[in-house]
Amino acid sequence: MLQIEHLVKRHGARTVLDRVDLEARPGRVTAFLGPNGAGKSSTLRVLLGLDRPDGGRALVAGRPYRELADPARVIGAMLDGSGAHRSRRARHHLAWIARAGGIDPRRVDEVLEQVGLADAARTRVGRFSLGMGQRLGLAAALLGEPEALVLDEPVNGLDPEGIRWIRGLLRGHADDGGTVLLSSHLMSEVAGIADDLVVIAGGRVVASGPIADVTRGYENLEDAFFALTGGSEGMR
Amino acid sequence: MIRALRAELHKAVTLPATLVGCGVMVLSMVALTVLNALSARGDDAADSAFDVAFYGAPLGVVGSVVVAVVLVGSEYTANSPDAGGGRQIPTTLIAIGSRTRLLVAKAVAMVVVVVPSAAIAIGVCLGVATALLGDSAGPPVAFDEGLRRAGAVVVYWLLISIMALAVTVLTRNGVIPLVFFIVNSAVLPPSFLLSRVTDLAFWLPDTSGFRLLSYGIGQSIDDAQLAMVPGTLVMTAWALGLLAVAGIVMNRRDA
Repeated sequence: MLQIEHLVKRHGARTVLDRVDLEARPGRVTAFLGPNGAGKSSTLRVLLGLDRPDGGRALVAGRPYRELADPARVIGAMLDGSGAHRSRRARHHLAWIARAGGIDPRRVDEVLEQVGLADAARTRVGRFSLGMGQRLGLAAALLGEPEALVLDEPVNGLDPEGIRWIRGLLRGHADDGGTVLLSSHLMSEVAGIADDLVVIAGGRVVASGPIADVTRGYENLEDAFFALTGGSEGMR
Repeated sequence: MIRALRAELHKAVTLPATLVGCGVMVLSMVALTVLNALSARGDDAADSAFDVAFYGAPLGVVGSVVVAVVLVGSEYTANSPDAGGGRQIPTTLIAIGSRTRLLVAKAVAMVVVVVPSAAIAIGVCLGVATALLGDSAGPPVAFDEGLRRAGAVVVYWLLISIMALAVTVLTRNGVIPLVFFIVNSAVLPPSFLLSRVTDLAFWLPDTSGFRLLSYGIGQSIDDAQLAMVPGTLVMTAWALGLLAVAGIVMNRRDA
């Protein structure tokens, strides 16, 4: 469903992504794990058509994101928190996204309810807490009932109850046949939920596969993570 | 395209700064009309209410420039760190994949917001001028002529605002274009000063359309300015050209 092949991204002389390969399949939760600055967000930005790659390709349902006819129904994404203007009310933010995607406006109230923001629908986004912003970003991703969810550090700022809730949501999405790709720099976030792991360090994928395969030979995911990323000095 | 336009229109009307831009347009023009009408009152040779109302027309462009700049600038405004930071532009580009479609939708949304605001501003100014001038108002301007003059002024505002919108795409920040276009429109355009030196300056983005403005306010700015039709075409070419450059840049650069 989501396929990234030999992706290269440079910022000036600096190579941010060095032949990154990644696949996220339907029915599975794929965790994209790596330290801060390892290249997770850069990879997701190219996947979502925000940044242009310097080599390789990133495909969503077999096509580059910018060529999707109806992206809101194919992929729901959350990057950088709420992704909303601070002076706009939460409901209005979701309403314009619904219009852009040709989505039934009744979905706005449904997703606000689903993410627990029904009472804050008329609140301006600038007054939101970090966790509320994350929930709004997630509501935007869910709006078009997409096949795939791509979430960059989705549990940032969520309280324990919120983390538990989002895990259930993502697991449910995958169990219903959907594709989930979530990035994280925290092993504990993904340990109980991921089926597949892609570990990135210094812009290079250092391990990938089913979680049992990646962690084989290590005591736990944490040991595997530090062993796999330990030699990295971050971005080169 | 219709979806993108509906989304951008909804964005425009739910952003408080857009309403501020419309308010600036109405209030600045009405304030100037009040001043002009009070100074002309009692004058035996006073102009018509229409002329007095339109002296303030060049100022109306400030409001429409504010609307154009905030429609783009708001995309790049960072959220507060407490709310996780981030800007709206990734959400917009993920929702409306085509940059060309996005820019056209933004420009059309700006026009759809500015035209009714301009109609309200002009209507209120006419009402205020008529009420304040009373019997001292000069002979009225014919309805169809008034409509043509109002149309010319609004076309000038819209073309300047499309340029402001395109420049904001290039700067990714509303402050610089806002200051530049307001100073340029409401204080003294450098291009106008340049036109004192050479008539070639009347081919520049803003001066090329001066005939629209001078026809609208009923006063000649300079006889050397381009005639109405070629001038409007040159100014339109500048506006659409800048929008095209903005589209190309947006397509090529990272969000």
